[in-house]
Amino acid sequence: MIFSRSGIFLCVLLTASYLSAQANTPPQSDQRPASTQDQALVEKGRDLFRKDCSFCHGRDATGGESGPDLTRSKLVAADINGDKIGDVVRNGRPDKGMPPFDRSPDQIAALAAFIHAKAASAAANGRKGAGGRRGVDPSDLQTGNVEAGQKYFNGAGGCANCHSPSGDLAGIATRLQGLQLEEQMLYPRHFKPPVTVRPRSGESITGTLDYLDEFTVGLTDANGYYHSWRTRDVQYKVDGRVNAHVELFSKYTDDDVHNLMAYLQTLK
Amino acid sequence: MHSLKTAIFLTLSALTAFTLSGALLAQQGATESVLLHPPANSWPGYHGDYSGRRHSALTQITPGNVKNLTLAWAFQTDQTAEIKSSPLLVDGIIYFTVPENIWAIDARSGHRIWHYSYPPSEGEHIGHRGVGMYKNYLYFLTPDAHLVSLNAKDASFRWKVTIADVSKGYWTSMAPLVVGNHILVGVSGDFDNLSGYIRSIDPETGETQWQWNSTPPVGTPGQTTGGMTWMPGTYDPELNLIYWGTGNPTPVLNGSTRPGDDPYTCSIVALNPDTGKLVWAFQVSPHDTHDWDAVETPVLVDGDFHGQPKKMLMQSSRNGYFFVLDRTNGKSLLTVPYGPVNWTLGIDSQGRPIPNPKKEPAPDGRLIAPDEGGMTNYRSPSFDTKNGLFIVDAHPSWSIYFAKPADGVYGWAGADYTVWGKGLIEAIDYQTGKIRWTHEAGEHGSGAGVLTTDSGLTFTGDAAGNFLALDSSTGKTLWHAGSGSQIVSSPTTYELDGRQYLLTSSGGVLFAWALPEQ
Repeated sequence: MIFSRSGIFLCVLLTASYLSAQANTPPQSDQRPASTQDQALVEKGRDLFRKDCSFCHGRDATGGESGPDLTRSKLVAADINGDKIGDVVRNGRPDKGMPPFDRSPDQIAALAAFIHAKAASAAANGRKGAGGRRGVDPSDLQTGNVEAGQKYFNGAGGCANCHSPSGDLAGIATRLQGLQLEEQMLYPRHFKPPVTVRPRSGESITGTLDYLDEFTVGLTDANGYYHSWRTRDVQYKVDGRVNAHVELFSKYTDDDVHNLMAYLQTLK
Repeated sequence: MHSLKTAIFLTLSALTAFTLSGALLAQQGATESVLLHPPANSWPGYHGDYSGRRHSALTQITPGNVKNLTLAWAFQTDQTAEIKSSPLLVDGIIYFTVPENIWAIDARSGHRIWHYSYPPSEGEHIGHRGVGMYKNYLYFLTPDAHLVSLNAKDASFRWKVTIADVSKGYWTSMAPLVVGNHILVGVSGDFDNLSGYIRSIDPETGETQWQWNSTPPVGTPGQTTGGMTWMPGTYDPELNLIYWGTGNPTPVLNGSTRPGDDPYTCSIVALNPDTGKLVWAFQVSPHDTHDWDAVETPVLVDGDFHGQPKKMLMQSSRNGYFFVLDRTNGKSLLTVPYGPVNWTLGIDSQGRPIPNPKKEPAPDGRLIAPDEGGMTNYRSPSFDTKNGLFIVDAHPSWSIYFAKPADGVYGWAGADYTVWGKGLIEAIDYQTGKIRWTHEAGEHGSGAGVLTTDSGLTFTGDAAGNFLALDSSTGKTLWHAGSGSQIVSSPTTYELDGRQYLLTSSGGVLFAWALPEQ
């Protein structure tokens, strides 16, 4: 019972997490190219960026192992003079490992100018620069075979045990492209699984897992309220089906990954 | 009668000496003797002692009483930079850093004695591992690749020398290792094709004594660049050798311009500290194309290996393998993975992993374990001498690696992305590589280092920011405290006034823990 209900929940969550996935379209052509008068601001922003941001986001903001490519970020594309970038800089993204940085409005404006300049030049010259980390284009990820991918999806991969091309994955290739689709395919890292908590007395509660360490389990219930318990006081069960993604890592060949990617890209 | 008189005389002498020395001699600083044999009331170098074992003989805090551990004090930097340094403790004063900043604080109370700020500078500000100390002088590396020497008592400036050219892409972030009259420093930089090196600096004058280059000069045809020296090494005074891990080659993800093994990148090297002469080298990742530097602590252990007494060196390397070497000659004793790895074709006759060319980064991506952050990273492991266990904060992980011709052959020359990872504290039996126990440390992975003590405790942390005390023989949790931020440093411990302190940090806060005062 619990899991048939949470199965639906899972689909809803997957959709939500797909929609909220960051950075999935190239910057729009209305990026403000750095004008001459902005050049000083861009240079100031470059200095700030290289001190605090470049180790994770790459020297040219094109992304790194722990920080996304900002030149393709939707948030950056929607930002005007730091109004959105500033929130992220000042508050950080603790859930994704980004610390907050206490920076003045002038510094935020400079950082934003630099990031916008990099986004514009990346769009214009195919992301050529010196030294920094690089990116991945959707055209790089077209080497797989659709039929082999479909066969893997329905067979050896076991994907069809949880997913359906006409259900949760319908239109997935419209919502996500390129690297973002491949990352989500390999492991939906922002997905929060359903959890059921059974206190010693009273009824079980099912919700979305919000927090779990050795000592505390926290969930958000269907009404959006957060609850937590000491793990020693309750029994809890996290829907572990997402771990099927982890179990596949050691079984995949690189061809399997590319074929599966080819198949998912047909689900528009 | 005679003896009584002598006793009185001795007592008087002792009192006189105490009074005088109290005024003049209390602050000896990090003398050679303190560095070689750190007293219980000190932590005079990055690793504590020279061995890199991060194991303490202190036993006041035990598996039985650790549940009573309480906050003695906390110190807030009031900055957003995360503390990644190992605080030094000499003469009752703690010295710790974040980039461009040093604090001296009272180890008893946690109150600030002084705060030094280096002027805003160029170069990466990603992190800082701490200061080095020689006598009463501090040595501090800056993002713009300078070494600054200060007087420890008041942070007054002595001198500053250039270690590398920041305009070329170098920066510095490591904690200098002090051996004899050598201040040993290393350099950082991955986004440019540059040579790595270790430099020995005169503690009095700042003059260069020697320099050892890990790779040939930039521009040597067919040869690699890279081999940065990000972290302080360890030292064996008997063999008079320093042991140092070197970084990955550059270009990082594209090995086409640097065919072959790319010595001495991703290597453990043994050098004479007086001359900088290379005595031996062991390469843990020949021809690396995954950014797996080998700068994780080279841990020195003397003990039994399969029935024979050995002087060993152990490293849990970023590339996913645990290595045991004979540190007299660099020969392999054991090479074994300590988590999922899929990038090798096997182990060669010298004990080195053989990279699989099919697992080099490619235009359409290659699925690789571990990820770029590696099976572990700069945070310290610990060798528990009592249980013979090598305890490490491991990071089983998977990632995708890309490189295409358009990415060029300069600097990173590709892109890579972590797909999944988790934290797992592992206790490795050093004689077999078998994992005795594991302790789950949370999704994505923990950034906490490890400290063990003779009482049988393992101090570390989890991905959620909990400080943990585990039973060293079982891995069972005995104490925890939520810290409110990410832990990205390694714990230390010391004893002052008969009270043992555990020193940990998370975010920009330093925490000192102790048992309740009697």
